[in-house]
Amino acid sequence: MLVLTRKSDEAIKLGDDITITVIEIKGNQVRLGIEAPTGVRIYRKEIYEKIKSENIIASRASLDEFAKLREKFKQI
Amino acid sequence: MMRFNTTRFGELEVDNDRLITFPDGIPGFPDVKRYILMDYRDTSLKWLQSVDDPDIAFIVAEPKIFSPDYSVKLDDTVRQYLQIKNDMDIAILVIVRVENGNIVPNLHGPLLLNAENMRGVQIVVEKIS
Repeated sequence: MLVLTRKSDEAIKLGDDITITVIEIKGNQVRLGIEAPTGVRIYRKEIYEKIKSENIIASRASLDEFAKLREKFKQI
Repeated sequence: MMRFNTTRFGELEVDNDRLITFPDGIPGFPDVKRYILMDYRDTSLKWLQSVDDPDIAFIVAEPKIFSPDYSVKLDDTVRQYLQIKNDMDIAILVIVRVENGNIVPNLHGPLLLNAENMRGVQIVVEKIS
């Protein structure tokens, strides 16, 4: 992992198109400003990781599980 | 026509125009890019079956079943990513699973499908409206 030290108002560039600026540092919180092309999706990592682990569990769904869900759906 | 193997349904044959492409896959499965949707007449549940990996299939449904007011904001990032020309072309589905006998829809990670070009993406919704 590349580790860089930056101060408030300083920034880093990722390639030509992405700039991440340190807006404010307060205690153990850092506010970041991110400039990136509109097609680039940006997420907080912990939420992204949660979706990822949900996907991995869900990808193993069985035909039996589908049948059970189908029954439950009739009740909605 | 395209033929592929699946663990759950054996060999399937579908028209090429039914293939849905997730250009970057979805979180957890970046290399699995092509899927098909399997509908049923008697239930609103569907399977989203991978074409690239026989083992991978998700049970999906429309989010409005669980949350009638559910909506997703189509921001510029998504518009560009899916090359959206008309908002009416966008279908929203969520992955559903059963946990301890309860239905658990993943409302934080909806799948958006553009019917016009058959591109898809899973987005992350941090706050559900």
